[in-house]
Amino acid sequence: MGLLKKKESTSAHSSTSPCADLRNAYHNCFNKWYSEKFVKGQWDKEECVAEWKKYRGCLSEHLDGKLLTRILEVDGELIPTKQADSTGSS
Amino acid sequence: MVKAYKQEHVYKHPWERVSAASWRKFADPENKRILSHILEVDTLNRKLDTETGKLHTTRALTIHAPGPWFLHRIIGQDICHCVESTVVDGKSRSMQLTTKNISLQKFIEVEERIRYDPHPENPSAWTVCSQETSIRIKPLSALASMAEKVEQKCAEKFMQNSVKGREVMERICKYMEAESAPI
Repeated sequence: MGLLKKKESTSAHSSTSPCADLRNAYHNCFNKWYSEKFVKGQWDKEECVAEWKKYRGCLSEHLDGKLLTRILEVDGELIPTKQADSTGSS
Repeated sequence: MVKAYKQEHVYKHPWERVSAASWRKFADPENKRILSHILEVDTLNRKLDTETGKLHTTRALTIHAPGPWFLHRIIGQDICHCVESTVVDGKSRSMQLTTKNISLQKFIEVEERIRYDPHPENPSAWTVCSQETSIRIKPLSALASMAEKVEQKCAEKFMQNSVKGREVMERICKYMEAESAPI
C-alpha cells in the first residue's frame, strides 16, 4: 500500500512504510530548520543533509519505480507555477 | 465538465507561522485522526536556492478516497496518489502549493492551488490563504449520466476536508504560538 512496493500485505495503513522512522527524523529536522532559520532569512545553507540522505536512500530502495516516474512527470507539469516569478526579466 | 471552487481564509497568525504549520499539517500524529484520509506523505525532492531564498519541494501524498460503490467497482481501488509541488519564496514571503492526482487520471482530474500570503492590511501578523480547487470528470460514456453527481459528491468531500484542514492549521498555529511565547 502507499507508495511503496508491496512486500507482504500488512493490514493497517499509515505507518507500514519501512522508511517511516527516517522520514520522521528528516521531517522533524526540516520543520525545525524551516521555522527557526528559513523564515528568518537564514537560507544561505542547506541543513538536515545527513537525515535527507538516509531518508532518500530508503525511499529509492522501496519506492515503486513506475509510480515515481509518473510523479516526477506530473511534477514537471506543475512546475510552471513559476509564472509568479517576477525576477529574471533580463 | 469542470467545476472550480474558490475559498479564502484569514489566519490571525504571521505568515512565518502559518507556512510552517502547513508543512506540519499532515505529519503531526495528533492530526492524523482528523485528516485520516491522508495515509502517507513523502518528500521526494527538495531544492533550496541559497541565493534567492526560494525553496522548491515535491511531495507525494497517498490519500484514501472511498467513493460511491459503483465508482469503486469501476476503478477497483480507493487509494489515490497525488503530487504536491510547493514553492516558498522567503524573500517576498509567499508560499504556493499545487496538488494534482496522478491516480485515476482516466476518470477524474483534481487540481488544488493554495497560496499563503501576508494579509495586506496586517502583513506582519495576519496571513491570507486562498484556495482554488478544480475538478474535471472525464466524459466517459458509461459514466456520463452519473458524472454530474460524482462531481458534486467529490466537491462536497473536498469542502469537508478543507474545513478539517483549516481546523488543523489553526490548531498547529496556536500550538506554535504557545511554544514560541516568551516565558
